[in-house]
Order: sequence, then structure tokens, then C-alpha cells
Amino acid sequence: MGRELTFADAKIIELVNKNFVPVAMDDWFQRRRQDAEGDFFRKVADQGPRKGQGGGTRQGIYAFTADGKLLQYRNSQDPEVMRAFLLNALKSWGTLSPADRSAARAGIPELKKIDPRYVPTLAKDTLIVNVHARILEKENDFFCHGTCKFPGGQRASHDHLWIRETEWQALLPKSPQIGQEIEIPANLTYRLLRFHLIDNTRGEPPMWSRNEVRKAELKLAVSEIIKDEVRLKLTGAILLSTDADEKIAKRGYDASMLGEICYESSKRKIVKFNAVVMGEHWGEGTYTGGSRPGRAPLGIALELADPSKQADRVPPQAIRETSGYYEAGK
Amino acid sequence: MRLNLALCLGLALGLTHGKASEPVKPEQFGKLHSLIKPNAGEEKFMEIPWMIDLWEARKKAASEDKPILLWEMDGHPLGCV
Repeated sequence: MGRELTFADAKIIELVNKNFVPVAMDDWFQRRRQDAEGDFFRKVADQGPRKGQGGGTRQGIYAFTADGKLLQYRNSQDPEVMRAFLLNALKSWGTLSPADRSAARAGIPELKKIDPRYVPTLAKDTLIVNVHARILEKENDFFCHGTCKFPGGQRASHDHLWIRETEWQALLPKSPQIGQEIEIPANLTYRLLRFHLIDNTRGEPPMWSRNEVRKAELKLAVSEIIKDEVRLKLTGAILLSTDADEKIAKRGYDASMLGEICYESSKRKIVKFNAVVMGEHWGEGTYTGGSRPGRAPLGIALELADPSKQADRVPPQAIRETSGYYEAGK
Repeated sequence: MRLNLALCLGLALGLTHGKASEPVKPEQFGKLHSLIKPNAGEEKFMEIPWMIDLWEARKKAASEDKPILLWEMDGHPLGCV
């Protein structure tokens, strides 16, 4: 909603870009962290109305100084309210006392220790794959963007699949031969299916449990070798459903997959990871109401991320339990 | 453990299913991929250079003499929400 309304507003974008240092964080982690950053965030939030009683949410939009003096807080997605919020924050900033303004410019010490329970770490050489889901509708012999009553539900979602180096290395045969089949590590397959083939177009949905993976016939094979570049074709038939009998399952996704992974053989470097998962999804979760009735087309597109972009390094939603995410097949 | 083993176990348990989804046609792949991905018009919020590290944002704000704007949600605002 914030993407759709607040931060899509031209005036708000201009105000933020000119006057603020913008940062986006996941409150689920921030409010739990037991380290200097967690303490700092709670100190800022405690100056506003959301004091997180009982470990509750502190989500919202905060403007504050680098040393932690709260200037404004709101939890609104109305662009008009947010424009006023930003202007008021700038007014508060402009009327800070010289001492407060000086404190806001003081150097920030290095963060020496982090709370590893609540700071997902992107290990070196992790492959990041962007994952976008979108509701679609049939149109003639093809598809078009779907429509949905839920505000913003027609847009593509964002998440990221993290693949450990040992896993993506296992996908690249050392002596590739056309037609050669490559075994996909089970944890990677289950991670992809359980945590990334989800309808997250209306917020965070329930993830699939391991036994809700009813069919996972994925096949990866060498399709082409052009000089140093090896192309792998990924195909798959997938059924995810809350009941073994999909006809009575409250939620499910019956889909096919097609993709291509290309790598440079000499450097053992993946240069392309494109895939499409296309099928019918049905049902919704407790916090993702407003789904379309019955079974409807849901498309999921995967492609290599650009790790130089901060937004592409946002951790996967399902990594809140790190071992559960990486060991999805267990 | 490899997936094939898991699948064999699944089949042994009788996890059957109905009509399967049609395979994605190779000639439609590129068009489908583009159709699903976000397009520039719906990514206006990305015109803001969001940082994803509050501590680094503090350093930047102190050095540039600017206030911080924190977009805090239960679920990452730039991720799956």
C-alpha cells in the first residue's frame, strides 16, 4: 500500500530525495534485535506512540536525527497526510537548537556486534534471484495483467531467493554434455517451492509446509553449449496444496515451470537465471484476504538480481528462521 | 537427501493429484516473463534511493547533515509485503 500510494507520489518522492536519508527496514527484525542498532531503534520509537508493548509492532514512518531525536511519526498511507508529515518533519529539523543540530552531525561509531538471531546475513557468493509474482487473466490465447479488489494487488510482488554457493555450484556440471541431467539439491527445490511459489501479491501469505508439496517434478538438463557458455533448461510440474486431495484443498497452486540457467564454464559463473512459473492459484491466508474467487492464473518470474542494488539485497521473507529457510527439504 | 528420494516417498504415500497445469510454451516464455515482472510505471517508490541498513543511514545522515526518514513495516517494505 505504501508503495502504491505514499511513495509513488511525485511530490513526496521529490521531498524525500532532496531532504532526507531514506531507509526501509523490517520491523519484525528491528524490534527484536538485542544489539546497539535495536537499542537505537527502540529509543527512537519510544519517543512516539508505538512503544511496542508486549513485543508488539512498531511499524510506521519515522523522521529523526542521526543521534536519535524523533522529529515526526505517522502510520498513514494517505499521500496528503504524508506530504504534511514530511513538511512538519523538516520544520522540526529546521528549528532544532544549535546543540541538537550539532549532536545530529556527530560521528556515528562502528556497530561492533550484531544480534545474529535477527540480522540475516548474506553469505559471500550467495546467488540472489529476484522473484516476482503477479495475478494474470486469460486474454484470447495468452494472458494479461489481472485485476483485484485489494489495493495494489494487481502489481508484481517482490522477494528474493538466496542460493548458497555450494548449491548453485552443484547445478553446474564440470564436463557438460548435451542432454546431461543435473540433480537439483533437495533443499534448494523445497526452498523454491515452499517459500517462493506463493501468492504474495496482497502481502505476506502463509508459506507451504513441506508436506504441502504434492508434486515437484523439476528437471534440469544441459540444452546447449556455445563455446564457453553452457545453457541449462529447467522444466517442471508442480502441485502445492493444503490437502492431499487438491479438489478439497483450501489453498493451492498447480503450475508448470520453464527456465534457462546459463553459466560461463571457465569461470563457473552464472550469467543468467530466468524462469517462469505459470499456473492456477486458489485460496488465501489469514492476512492476505481479497483473493479472486476460485482458481485463477498466477505467474511467477525469476531473474538474477543485481547485488549492487540495495533493494536486491533485502533478505527473503521466509528467512526469519534461517535454518528452516536453508534446510527447507528437512 | 536428494529430491528424487523425497518424490519417491511422496508417491509411495499415495500423494496423487488431478489435472496438471499446462506446460509453459517456449515461444511464450519471453513475453510471459516480461508480463509478470514489475514495469517502471509501478515502481515509482524505487525512485527513492532506499538504504537497507539503519546504522549506515545514520552515518550518511550525520555526514550530510540531513534527517533520516525510516519506512518501517512488519515485513520489509521493499520485499514481500
